[in-house]
Amino acid sequence: MTAGGAASTALPAFGQRWFNGRSPPQPVCDPSVITQSVTCLHGRLLVGSSARMTDDLEVAPAIAPTPRYLASGDVGLVTPRDFVYARPFTFKSGQVISGFTLRYETYGTLNATRSNAILICHALSGDHHCAGWHAPADRKPGWWNNLIGPGKAVDTRRFFVVCANVLGGCQGSTGPSSLNPETGIPFGILFPFVTIRDMVRAQRLLLEHLGVSELHAVIGGSMGGMQAMLFAIEYPSFVHRVLPMATTGRESAQAIAFNEVGRQAIMQDPAWNRGDYTKDSGPRVGLAIARMMAHITYVSDASMDRKFGRRKKENAPSDAYTFDVQFEVEGYLRHQGQSFINRFDANSYLYITRALDQFDLAHAYGSLEASFAPVEAETLIVGFTSDWLFPPEQNRTLALALLRAGKRASYAELSTDLGHDSFLLESEELYALVRGFLERDQPYVFDYEI
Amino acid sequence: MTRLIEKRTVDMQIIGDWVEPGTRVLDLGCGPGILLDYLVQKKQVSAVGVDLDFAKITACVRRGLAAYQGDMIAFMRAFPENHFDRVICSRTVQELADPTTVILEALRVGRALTVGFVNHGFWKNRLNSLLQGRKIRNEVYTTEWFESRPANPVTIHDFEHFCRLKGITVTRRAHLAGNWHKPCRTLPNLFAGYAVYDLTLQKRPAAEG
Repeated sequence: MTAGGAASTALPAFGQRWFNGRSPPQPVCDPSVITQSVTCLHGRLLVGSSARMTDDLEVAPAIAPTPRYLASGDVGLVTPRDFVYARPFTFKSGQVISGFTLRYETYGTLNATRSNAILICHALSGDHHCAGWHAPADRKPGWWNNLIGPGKAVDTRRFFVVCANVLGGCQGSTGPSSLNPETGIPFGILFPFVTIRDMVRAQRLLLEHLGVSELHAVIGGSMGGMQAMLFAIEYPSFVHRVLPMATTGRESAQAIAFNEVGRQAIMQDPAWNRGDYTKDSGPRVGLAIARMMAHITYVSDASMDRKFGRRKKENAPSDAYTFDVQFEVEGYLRHQGQSFINRFDANSYLYITRALDQFDLAHAYGSLEASFAPVEAETLIVGFTSDWLFPPEQNRTLALALLRAGKRASYAELSTDLGHDSFLLESEELYALVRGFLERDQPYVFDYEI
Repeated sequence: MTRLIEKRTVDMQIIGDWVEPGTRVLDLGCGPGILLDYLVQKKQVSAVGVDLDFAKITACVRRGLAAYQGDMIAFMRAFPENHFDRVICSRTVQELADPTTVILEALRVGRALTVGFVNHGFWKNRLNSLLQGRKIRNEVYTTEWFESRPANPVTIHDFEHFCRLKGITVTRRAHLAGNWHKPCRTLPNLFAGYAVYDLTLQKRPAAEG
C-alpha cells in the first residue's frame, strides 16, 4: 500500500469512481448502510505489482503536502462548460428536439492546425468529468484521471482532450430529466429514443463548435468504445486513430438480459410512475437495485472474492438469522446503489441501456466488415481477460473484422482479474500501449544496416 | 553490430528479397515487429503480426504496425483463403505446438509461406550434442533446458520430408552457412546453419453445391 493506506475515512476502493463527489453526498435512505461498511474496505485491487484500480482511497487533504489537484501530472482544477445547439436535432428514431445542450470539459490546448484533439467517450454511467478536479474539496478526480493529464498516457501537454456527457445523459447534457420546452416539465419518457449514433452525432457538433477540424484519436471503454468505433465509421476522414477498450460490436443476450433486469427494477418501482417524477422523488429503490446488479457485472468473481471474501461487517448482527447486512459485500453493494441514486436519473438509465442494447454494427451495416469498410483510421482494440460482460472474444471479433476489411487494426489483451472495469486500471503496461498508439507519428527509423 | 544482429539481418534480407512490394503480409510470431518494420519500410507492404505477448504487441504498436495478440491458428481461421499474399513464419516453427496445422493454415490464408529456421542438423550442433552429452548451448541456442521454451528442433532433411509428405511445393530455398552469411551449397543438412524456404500449396477447388 502506498499513499492510500494512510487514509481510513475512505469510501470503498473500487467502483467508487461512480460517485462523483462534486457535492457532498446526499442523505441516503438508510445511513447505517454506508457509515460502517465504507471504512473497512481497504483491500486494494492489485494485478501483479504495478496495477491497481483508479478508484483508490482518498488521501485526506489535511495530510497531503500539496493539494492533490496541484499535483504534477494532474490537469488540476477544471470547469465544465455547456455547448448549446439551438437548432432542431433529429434522432435516428425520427423524433426531433428543438435543440440540445452538451456539458463538456476540455484539457490542454488546441494547436494552430487544429489537429491535436482527442475525444474521450464515457461509458453508461460515466460523464464529461474524466480528469482533474472541480473543487479542492472534491473527494475524487475525474474518472480517467489516471490516464489523462500532463505527461500521462493521454498527454494534455500535447493533446487537446475533449469529453462530453452523452445526449440522453443526466449530468448536464440534454436528456429525459431536462425540461421539455414545449411543456415546461421534464421530458421523462417523452424524450426521443437515443442511439449510440445520436450520441456520436451530437458530439461531432460539439467538436465543430470547438473548431476541431480532425481528431487525432477517439478513445473510450465499454459504451465509450462503441461511440469511438462509430465515430470512425460515420466520419472516416475526421478520425485518425480509434482506441476502443472492453467493448463490443453488439451485446450478447446475457448483457441485454442484465440491462433488462435493471430496467425492470426501475419500471416496477411504483415511484417510477411511467417516468413522470420530480427530481427529489422517483424510483430510488429500483434504480439502486439496478445499479447493485449492474455493478456485479463490472467486476469479477475473483476480484470480489479478494476484496470481500466472506468477511462479515464489523457491526454485523450477532444473530445470523436476520436479513440485515451481514457480509461486507452486501454493505458495499448497498452503498453503490445508494450513491448512484444521488447522481443518476432513472429515466436516463432506461434510455442509455436501451441504446446499448440496440447497438449492433453487423445488423446496421449488413456485416461487421461492411460496417468497417469506410474506416480510414488506425484502430487499436484492447480487451481484458476477466471481462465477462464484453469478453475478450467480442473485442477480438472487432479487430479481426477490421483486418478482414483490409484496415490497419491491432488487438491487445491485458491479463487482469478485475472484470469489465479493467479499462480503468492503473497499469503501466496499459499506459505504455496507449501512449505508443497515440504518440507515434514519425516513421520508426530503421536502425540496422544491411 | 553484434554477431547476433548480423545474423538477424541476413535472415531479414532474404525474406525482404522474396517479398513483393506493396503486398499483404502476415508475420506469425512477429515479436516486437523488427522484420515487419523492415518490410514496411523497404517494400511498403501492408503488414500485420501475430504474437502472444502483450509487450510485443505494444512494441509493434509503437512502430505503427498492426499486431494482434492471440493464438496464430485461431487468428488464421478467421480469414478467407488467400487473404494474405505472403505469410512469414521466421524462427517460430520449432516452437509450435502443432506445426502441421500452422503451416497448412498459413498456406490456406496465404498465397505463399516463408519459413525460416535454425538447422538443427548443422554439424556443430551435432558435434556439440555428441561431445557434451548435454542440450546444445551456443550463440543460437542460448538457454539452459530449464529456461527454454519447449522446442521441437527441426533439420533441413526433416523439413523437406515434411513438405514432400504434405504435397507442399518448395518454390525457393536458401541455405546459409554456419555464419548465416554465405550461401551453403554442399550437404546443407550438415553444413547449413540456417534455412529459409518459400512454399506454396495447390489449393483444391472449392466443392460445388
